[in-house]
Amino acid sequence: MRDEDRGRRRFEAEVLPHLDAAYNLARWLARDAGAAEDVVQTACLRALRFFDGFQGGSARAWLLAIVRNTFYSGLRQQRAQEPEAVFDEEVHSVESPGGDPEADLLRHADSTQLRQAIAALPAVFREVIVLREIEGLPYKEIAAVAGIPIGTVMSRLARARQHLQDDLIARGVGGRRP
Amino acid sequence: MTCTGSSPGAAERLLQITAYLDGELDLTAAVELERHVEECAGCKRALEAQRALGEAIRANAGELRFRPSPEEARRLRRALGGGAAPPVWWLSPPSQQLRSLAALLLVAVGAWSVGRRWPGVPASSESSATSAAQAPAAAPGAPAVPITEEILASHLRALLAGHPEDVASSDRHTVKPWFAGRIDYSPPVVDLAAQGFPLRGGRLDYVAGRPVAVLVYQAGNHLASVYVWPADAAAVGAAAGGAASATGAAGAPAAASSRRGFQLLRWTQADMTWWAVSDVAPEHLAELVRKLRQALPASPAPPPPQSPPRP
Repeated sequence: MRDEDRGRRRFEAEVLPHLDAAYNLARWLARDAGAAEDVVQTACLRALRFFDGFQGGSARAWLLAIVRNTFYSGLRQQRAQEPEAVFDEEVHSVESPGGDPEADLLRHADSTQLRQAIAALPAVFREVIVLREIEGLPYKEIAAVAGIPIGTVMSRLARARQHLQDDLIARGVGGRRP
Repeated sequence: MTCTGSSPGAAERLLQITAYLDGELDLTAAVELERHVEECAGCKRALEAQRALGEAIRANAGELRFRPSPEEARRLRRALGGGAAPPVWWLSPPSQQLRSLAALLLVAVGAWSVGRRWPGVPASSESSATSAAQAPAAAPGAPAVPITEEILASHLRALLAGHPEDVASSDRHTVKPWFAGRIDYSPPVVDLAAQGFPLRGGRLDYVAGRPVAVLVYQAGNHLASVYVWPADAAAVGAAAGGAASATGAAGAPAAASSRRGFQLLRWTQADMTWWAVSDVAPEHLAELVRKLRQALPASPAPPPPQSPPRP
């Protein structure tokens, strides 16, 4: 009983400060407030149950990995997989299509445009963007959360940013339509 | 030389650009890439586009981050604290939270308060700050809760509630009057947008046994809460005469502390006790505090910041 209390307190001290990050990731993955809440709740209860198995290291990466797994296992159970398979694994040309420099347009993207563009990304790209750009995780922690090699983190980020740039330009950021 | 979509190195270059902008490319490769983009218009453009995208996202990070609504926070709290498990302390209502914290930290308090004095602050001012001048925060009979824990709990509660500010405005002429009539002192309010830390607003919180003003700043992707309340005489005396004399721009470094991945900084200035807390990187919080101290008056009748300390 005492051991249980100690474990609980260690959990509260090390894991719960990252609940905000957990909610943010769940919400971006699930793209729905109710579903995100369910994911965070299930993930936290799982984290509490398996906390004995936490070997130290980044508690944030550990909790976010559980959030991510909870989301994907929920998806599999529902067999409600979004059409994620339809994306292009090839890295595009580094050349932009011409016209004004993209940088000037992209710099003026507003939060609504950015939110829509990120939300439209396939989940494998969305998660690395959220972890890197919003949570500020280093590649090593993103690799731990997503269970992929660091090289894959890098290529997914490159692809994700390319998608975002194309999408934002197509949305007419910076007050312009192509 | 220009990389094109069909040239074999183009895809590899794009990966390098990504890692470069994220600070994840090793030094040799980074130097090589920098040299390459000088000569390659395509890669330079790709680099600039990615950099601009990153800047746009970071500039909007506060709005892109999802935070649980108060109702969601309440339901999560119930789920995590419910059943046979004891309540989760920092998700609990304040009174319950303070009691369980007090019990939790019974042992820690003694060891911590003896062993971890704030650098540059005499022991007397720290102990009086939590006991004499301000009412003890914990219930009678319970040991006092370390103020770092109270402030961290308050900051986390505000974040989790998705309600970091009661008055949301970057205009100090809106935020400052909002506090009038809600607390018995007038906190100095400055916007630091020009210095890279926009003021988001203010809120009231309950710390050290009294309602206190909290200013909320955006620090990159993160939020920082800055707590301010009138310093007690001992702290002001210490600030005026002691090692922490320079309450102005060139003041003694704020006392730093780190709890569970959160940074806390404390200092005394303008006859106020200040606490800043955030999960932003330590150097960024220190930068925010430095800018804030520069922007604040040194004392209520503000002498120039470079004036010598009072005798």
